[in-house]
Amino acid sequence: MAAVAAAPLACAAQGEPDWLVDTLYGGGKINTVLAVVALILTGIAWWLTRLDRRISRMEKQQRTP
Amino acid sequence: MKHWWWKFLAVALVLSASIAALRTPLAPAVVYVDAGEVSAGAAALRVVGYGTRFTESPVQAYLENGGQFVQAMRIEVADDRHLTAHFEVPAGLREDLCDLIVSAPGQGDMRLFDAFFYRSKGAGAATGTVKAPQRTQREGFVFPNRNLLYESIRNLNFHVPMWFTMMLLQTIALVFSIRVLSGGDPLHDRGALAAVQVSLLFAFLGLITGSVWARATWGGWWTGDTKLNGAAVTILIYLAYLVLRGSATDPAKRARLAAIYNIFAYVLMLLFIMALPRMTASLHPGSGGNPAFSQYDLDASLRPVFYAAVLGWMGIGTWLLHLQYRLARLEIAKNHA
Repeated sequence: MAAVAAAPLACAAQGEPDWLVDTLYGGGKINTVLAVVALILTGIAWWLTRLDRRISRMEKQQRTP
Repeated sequence: MKHWWWKFLAVALVLSASIAALRTPLAPAVVYVDAGEVSAGAAALRVVGYGTRFTESPVQAYLENGGQFVQAMRIEVADDRHLTAHFEVPAGLREDLCDLIVSAPGQGDMRLFDAFFYRSKGAGAATGTVKAPQRTQREGFVFPNRNLLYESIRNLNFHVPMWFTMMLLQTIALVFSIRVLSGGDPLHDRGALAAVQVSLLFAFLGLITGSVWARATWGGWWTGDTKLNGAAVTILIYLAYLVLRGSATDPAKRARLAAIYNIFAYVLMLLFIMALPRMTASLHPGSGGNPAFSQYDLDASLRPVFYAAVLGWMGIGTWLLHLQYRLARLEIAKNHA
């Protein structure tokens, strides 16, 4: 009986509450870093796309004066 | 290829700084103790660490209450991350929050600030306290492990360089604008425009990355904070530069108008980002009442990575500006042909 009751509490017995497990080991904070890196790369890529379009437009104008 | 060296350097700096920012381990730290308050008498505190190696070397535990230290009588180490510290808490400590300090050779002093409250039972001088324990040194190249921030402290090397790059580009825009007013070369006007455009890219990147970081740390995407609002107002001011410059039709008049506005915009940027936040209380580091990371955290380990990231991103920003500027020069040459 005691063993059955203790099984789901194995984690709690270690003294770690759920929020801590979520924040530290669920990767909550490291995912923030990955999101930040992804956003920066997306932003730079968007900028390069715009630049590419502008250059294409100039090239097209040059071909058909 | 002679003029490419700084572009390669910028990419190499960003790459190495990013790898270091993502791969450097966090310092071992105590992240949780299972007691909300203690009072005089025996107390068994279960302690959870992060990145700790409790089984590796003899561990000591102390609690600090207003400069007075109490050493744990006995420590049971369960595994590398869990231990139970048995204290004989004396009466007569200050009724206040206590820090918990776990120290182990090679892992440094791991302090959990305001770990629990000391509930006083009656007065009397505290006996059973010890002298301040000797500091143990931490070994290895590790990032600081701060409560709430944890792994997200790595963002320092991505979020802050965006703003530094923005400021560099706006300084370049200022120089172009001053040259517009003293000369009148249409190319300088286009240079200022290009610098403002690229600076806005980095401003938005800084704003978005800051917002994601704020969500994970403060719990909200946006707070009505002086630093945050100042940054938002700065972006609006520079967006207004684009609107103003677009509204004038005569090229010479447009160049002068935009240049004069840009000088005011730069002063306002310094005011809103550098000056005002330092004068008011703020959640954001580097503001009044809240010390910057640099004060005790931008220490030996974060500093080289951070500086490499700043220099590298400044180089990338300058490269983007260079492309934008050359394109504008081609457009001008074509229109004159």
